[in-house]
Amino acid sequence: MTLWSRLRSWWNATVRRSRMESEMDAELRFHIESLAEDLMSGGMSRPEAQRRARIQFGGIERVKEEGREARGVNFFETFLQDVHFGLRMLCKNPGFTVVAVLTLALGIGANTAIFSLVDGILLRPLPFAAPQNLVSITGTFPKGGFVAMREQMQSLDVASYFEGHEFNLTGRGDPLRLSGAVVSAEFFSVLGARPELGHAFYPGDDDAGRDNYVILSHSLWQQHFGANPSILGQSIVLEGISRQVIGVMPPEFLFPSAKTQVWLSLHDDPRDTVAYWAGDFMPVIGRLRPGSTLPLARAEIRMFQSRVSKLFPWPMPADWNADISVVELRNGMVADVRSRLFLLLGAVGLILLIACVNVANLALSRAATREKEIAVRTAMGAERTRVIRQLLTESVLLALLGGLLGIILATEGLHLLKAALPADTPRLADAHIDWRVLSFTGGLAILTGLLFGLAPALQSSRAALSQSLNAATRGASVSISHRLRSALAIAEVAFAVLLVIAAGLLIRSFVALSRVDPGFRAERVLTARVTPNQEFCGDPARCVSFYRELLSRMQAVPGVSSAAVVNTLPLGGRVAKRSLEIENEAVPPGEAMPLFWMDVVTPDYLRVMKIPVVAGRGFTSADESGNPPVALVTSSTSRRFWPGRSPVGSHVRLSGDKDWRTVVGIVSDVRAYDLQKNVPDWINGTIYFPYATNATLEGGRVPSDMTVVLQSSLDESQLHNVLRSTISGLNPEVPASEVKPMRAVVSESVSTPASTTVLFVAFAALALVLGLTGIYGVLSFLVSRRTKEIGIRLALGAQRRDVLWLVMKEGARFSLIGISLGLAGALGISRLLAGELYGVSPADPATFLAAASLMTAVTLLACYIPTRRAMRVDPLLALRHE
Amino acid sequence: MDKQLDLLQGTLDMLILKAVSLGPLHGYGILLRIQQISKDRLEIQQGSLYPALYRLEHQGWIASEWGESENNRKAKYYRLTAAGKRRLLAEADNWNRMADVIAGILGTKPEEV
Repeated sequence: MTLWSRLRSWWNATVRRSRMESEMDAELRFHIESLAEDLMSGGMSRPEAQRRARIQFGGIERVKEEGREARGVNFFETFLQDVHFGLRMLCKNPGFTVVAVLTLALGIGANTAIFSLVDGILLRPLPFAAPQNLVSITGTFPKGGFVAMREQMQSLDVASYFEGHEFNLTGRGDPLRLSGAVVSAEFFSVLGARPELGHAFYPGDDDAGRDNYVILSHSLWQQHFGANPSILGQSIVLEGISRQVIGVMPPEFLFPSAKTQVWLSLHDDPRDTVAYWAGDFMPVIGRLRPGSTLPLARAEIRMFQSRVSKLFPWPMPADWNADISVVELRNGMVADVRSRLFLLLGAVGLILLIACVNVANLALSRAATREKEIAVRTAMGAERTRVIRQLLTESVLLALLGGLLGIILATEGLHLLKAALPADTPRLADAHIDWRVLSFTGGLAILTGLLFGLAPALQSSRAALSQSLNAATRGASVSISHRLRSALAIAEVAFAVLLVIAAGLLIRSFVALSRVDPGFRAERVLTARVTPNQEFCGDPARCVSFYRELLSRMQAVPGVSSAAVVNTLPLGGRVAKRSLEIENEAVPPGEAMPLFWMDVVTPDYLRVMKIPVVAGRGFTSADESGNPPVALVTSSTSRRFWPGRSPVGSHVRLSGDKDWRTVVGIVSDVRAYDLQKNVPDWINGTIYFPYATNATLEGGRVPSDMTVVLQSSLDESQLHNVLRSTISGLNPEVPASEVKPMRAVVSESVSTPASTTVLFVAFAALALVLGLTGIYGVLSFLVSRRTKEIGIRLALGAQRRDVLWLVMKEGARFSLIGISLGLAGALGISRLLAGELYGVSPADPATFLAAASLMTAVTLLACYIPTRRAMRVDPLLALRHE
Repeated sequence: MDKQLDLLQGTLDMLILKAVSLGPLHGYGILLRIQQISKDRLEIQQGSLYPALYRLEHQGWIASEWGESENNRKAKYYRLTAAGKRRLLAEADNWNRMADVIAGILGTKPEEV
């Protein structure tokens, strides 16, 4: 109530100022006239009564002024005065202003850019209807499991999707490889998303026989269909199957990912037992039904999980989806990025702190030169709060200027950030600078201004009046804020050490990652995906002979020395797995057969990739017939499944196969999944099969999305042209995509750690520069304040060496204490980085040592100029100085 | 008539609240009412009334609106708000206790110490 009345009163007093004035006028006039009338009724003449009334009332203008004060008008007038005066002071000290604004702009800009990422990726609601009701189920289900869930769940409407599908688009110019998602019919309605053109899937569109529809992404529609609305109702050929286009999604719809170009409906066919119960295990999203809650949905999904295992035609392992739960979709989508973003936010937070400390130091130095001004103002009757308010207004002004420039820096920075981050970062496109980010920046700037302004303001408003007025213009009162300034410089060094250590650890980790021996040689290897339609490969012999013919033609191309195909290129981001039975290794009841990473390759593959054979032999062209069936295992697989003996000569069998395969050799390990791991944790071993009609995947097909690898002196575009013409001579419907050197494949696999490292190095560099200028500022101020003292010392016979020591001692103190604090702090918090590190401990002594040395060097550098200036002090000049 | 007393620091606010608690009044009316109730024993600077009124309004203890005076002029009338009513009770209570204490102190005889 009171707050409201105050606000209203302020509102009236400022915005409706003239009205308030005239009302006040009228009110006071009424008073005087009433008083005069009362006097007249006592028998006084009108002029006399009016005169007496005015005298009795007292000074009208004074009353009005007091009235304005009481109404809070002056609060704003004082504020405007402060702003005006502050701007004048800033203009009078352009050097200080420019340095402070630049420093703040860097700090605020970095924070704005990172915050816009955090906001876009983590905070902003998903661009779907009623996003607060959208959930994600932490577990994956095959079609059969999902259909059961759809029928049984009461608290949720559910939809499933599978992202990793690719489709050949043919019949419209050059064949094209599209990435798509296969989704259940409710997918769009659960998300609450509508196509910009046409309609979404209808319920039941995912039943077998009713599933020949496709929805296009906006960008695909624009790039390949000329943004022509007449595409609706037409058919396009995907994987040799004609599908009717029923809708085009709007450009902002980027789910499951920004790469998705087409959405197809699932093909739910319970008669196809293997595909129905063992095909893709799909993530499930849901929308809370009215009245239900997240805890309710969690309880229900747990009950469902206990039932669904029994529906499978075979026993499911007990730990399948054991920790199933329901989380907000937004959190589910970005779980991987979250911790990395918070690290970045922490880093830029430190930079802002350093910037604040820096400007606080500058302001302190300046406040020292303003001591007299402030003393005079205090002597003239200014209250201390009034002086503090004036000084704080100035610092907030500075910070707002810095924020303004920071926003410009952030706009540029965000482009760089988006380019530096891996393109598959979820919701990256959602990050932009808008009013949310701007209000964050505004708030941050004001907070920053208060933060760095408070210490100097308190300090200088305390300045003892008579002392400052009496002291000679620049007296020996060095110590008033010296301690505070040293503390700030120390804090600055400590923060910078934290960032330098973080960057150092990430660099070490990245170097370790780059030094990992991937098990193959990427030099001179070119790769390209060549992917006939699945339907073409429905006849395995046709598929196998297509690749064989392609390879023999490619080998004849000048500049190509050898060529092979592989189903899963190492570090290519794809996984091929099969359950495998090992001779004389009974699987305990209730446990699943071991899962193997299955590499299907042509005989030359090991030579192209230079993967050494450790024991036995590699594949030969004789193995390409698939008969007798053979296999290779990797060293680590051999150790795990044939401990203490050689696997060569023993037998393995694909689950569902009749024939046993003979292991004929051991090859050395390859980092197939990523540079840190050969295979994901849930895969138990690696096996190689020769590419033949009996090298089948789950579902009984031969792999039809092979990658061609070549030892070649060609460049990418030459290879692309050669491939295109060679393929079109064989089968014009087969696209060649992702043509790139193996080196690029390797570096893309580390794009995430690379980007984190680059960003941290940039932040650390920024922190170093800011820290350097900060220490420099403090020391040069110190020297200028002590010029006289130094002059006296020199006159009394001190050596230049002593002067050197005098200044360096200060610098050394900052850096020693700051570095120690920084190291201690880093020891405490560097384990936050552990998740980002490979092959280096978060408390790596070498990194800590290097950071300490670097910081020492930087502080010495910062000491250099002030020290030199101190040593050049001319005693005569210095003594005459004041 | 006794000599008029100067107003004690800070008591004007309380008197205004009391005056308007008896019914809405314009500024001049408040002055008259205080003088009338105090039987003209209090001296109030006419002008000092208005800053006090504005302060009280700013704090939300009284509210104002324009109305018509007895002599058919436009005048600004003040009335007590709910918050003002509470404030008046609190201040009166405070004042009474303070007056008791002061009276007690002043009434102390040497043998009682």
